[in-house]
Amino acid sequence: MSDDQTPVSPAEAGLEVAARTTSTSELPELEIVGVRHGAFSAVDGGDTSGFGGLVAPIVMPGPTLPPYGGWFDDAAEELALSLADRGVPMESAVEKVVVDRGEITFFVRREHLLTFATALRDEPALRFEMCMGVNGVHYPGDTGRELHAVYPFLSITHNRRLRVEVTCADADPHIPSITSVYPANDWHERETYDFFGIIFDGHPSLTRIEMPDDWPGHPQRKDYPLGGIPVEYKGAEVPPPDQRRSYT
Amino acid sequence: MGLEEKLPSGILLTSVEKVAGYARKGSLWPATFGLACCAIEMMATGGPRYDLARFGMEVFRASPRQADLMIVAGRVSQKMAPVLRQIYDQMPNPKWVLAMGVCASSGGMFNNYAIVQGVDHVVPVDMYLPGCPPRPEMLIDAILKIHDQIQDMKLGSNAVREQDADELAALTAAPTLEMKGLLR
Amino acid sequence: MSDGHLGPEPDVVPVRSVVSAYAPILVLGILAAGFAIFSVTATTFTGPKRYNRAKMDAYECGIEPTPQPMGGGRFPVKYYLTAMMFIIFDIEIVFLYPWAVAFDQLPLFVFLAMMLFLFNLTVPYVYEWRRGGLDWD
Repeated sequence: MSDDQTPVSPAEAGLEVAARTTSTSELPELEIVGVRHGAFSAVDGGDTSGFGGLVAPIVMPGPTLPPYGGWFDDAAEELALSLADRGVPMESAVEKVVVDRGEITFFVRREHLLTFATALRDEPALRFEMCMGVNGVHYPGDTGRELHAVYPFLSITHNRRLRVEVTCADADPHIPSITSVYPANDWHERETYDFFGIIFDGHPSLTRIEMPDDWPGHPQRKDYPLGGIPVEYKGAEVPPPDQRRSYT
Repeated sequence: MGLEEKLPSGILLTSVEKVAGYARKGSLWPATFGLACCAIEMMATGGPRYDLARFGMEVFRASPRQADLMIVAGRVSQKMAPVLRQIYDQMPNPKWVLAMGVCASSGGMFNNYAIVQGVDHVVPVDMYLPGCPPRPEMLIDAILKIHDQIQDMKLGSNAVREQDADELAALTAAPTLEMKGLLR
Repeated sequence: MSDGHLGPEPDVVPVRSVVSAYAPILVLGILAAGFAIFSVTATTFTGPKRYNRAKMDAYECGIEPTPQPMGGGRFPVKYYLTAMMFIIFDIEIVFLYPWAVAFDQLPLFVFLAMMLFLFNLTVPYVYEWRRGGLDWD
């Protein structure tokens, strides 16, 4: 899934926003994050799928209101109580909660991420012992919230999975590091720094881990070029995949 | 003393070349540089079904100091390239390099920022073996072609003459793009 | 006995057969050593000398080797002390072996002499123990 470079409002794209309806509570609310032109948003050559004229919205699930269903409500209640114990009201820590396809995601503000992680690890009713790493996401069109860091958590005692998502702006790409709470996140945070440029404050040694140490740029951002070279044959030269001619 | 390089040409030198070539190819110890999927096929080639031991190559030396043939099996990333060069430099002469698989030969399917587009950007290659991954029989075919190269390797003044001829041919050769014809 | 000997001739054991039992081993040793020496010297003479910096470096899986101090670095002296103590008490044990083997055939005097010997070595042992020579740090 990829974004347009400039944010497009649904009205400009002439799209039906029937999905975004609050009249019936059964239909989930969707957020339109961008518009996709063509099958893979491949505007710079190489799209031979025939779907080049396709214009479609890129939707993400919108916020869910409580009750969430299942164990999610208990977890949310426990979190609210433990955050209040630690002096942080739930509304200021959590921006929104998204429940989609049986999975729950908490969008946490970065100032309260450490408190949230400590509560997840320490509260007996929560006990999320394992943090499965950090994944980075880049939404170039979403000014002020370009870089997301997604943390999946796993509770072995309760057999539950949960997701925490933290956003930060490209102009100020700092997120507190949770290595003091989950030490195994060390190399995952280094990888997210290497590929997205999110600086984790409080990390013991934040350096590039997969690219060479003096590599410029952060390769997995949406605006980073593919970096291929043209391939030479006898009598022909084929350009790299992102520079070939467009068929639409 | 370097007597090997100063031998005068003649029947004796040809016989010495044949014996030396036979000895060198008969026990060519590979240095494993198994990086990715091609390493699995290299392991399979060393296994009992496609046996490399019948060519004297079952002992894959981990240390480059004891190795003759470096089989670069797999994609070489930008971070790995200096390590590859250092290992190649630490091998004693005579040494040969086999680029196994398309990723080692030309970057393979990974035409991007992270992968070196062919290890001949880093080390001089004697044999390119395409395949993704090449079957063990293909690897053995490439190794046997290297054996033929080693058997015909010249010593002493013959080698000097051959190097001069190769250099002249390379200087006057047509660039790849000018070799028109079938798109092969 | 026409040559004037007084009795039967003693059996002469030819010395050669004892030595000749070990002759093949000597030949093997010479051949092996000769092959090794020949290999090394022949390659020294015939091989070209193509050195580069990486060939002279230590092998460290392809990365630049960690710089070591000159002369291999200083060794802590406790390794030397441990070796010395081992030698001393090992020699003591060597001296105890014959006594242990022939113990039941030896008179009381030998027992007392060995006790004196052990006492002579126990005193320095207690000295070393109390001076901290047995502590690793």
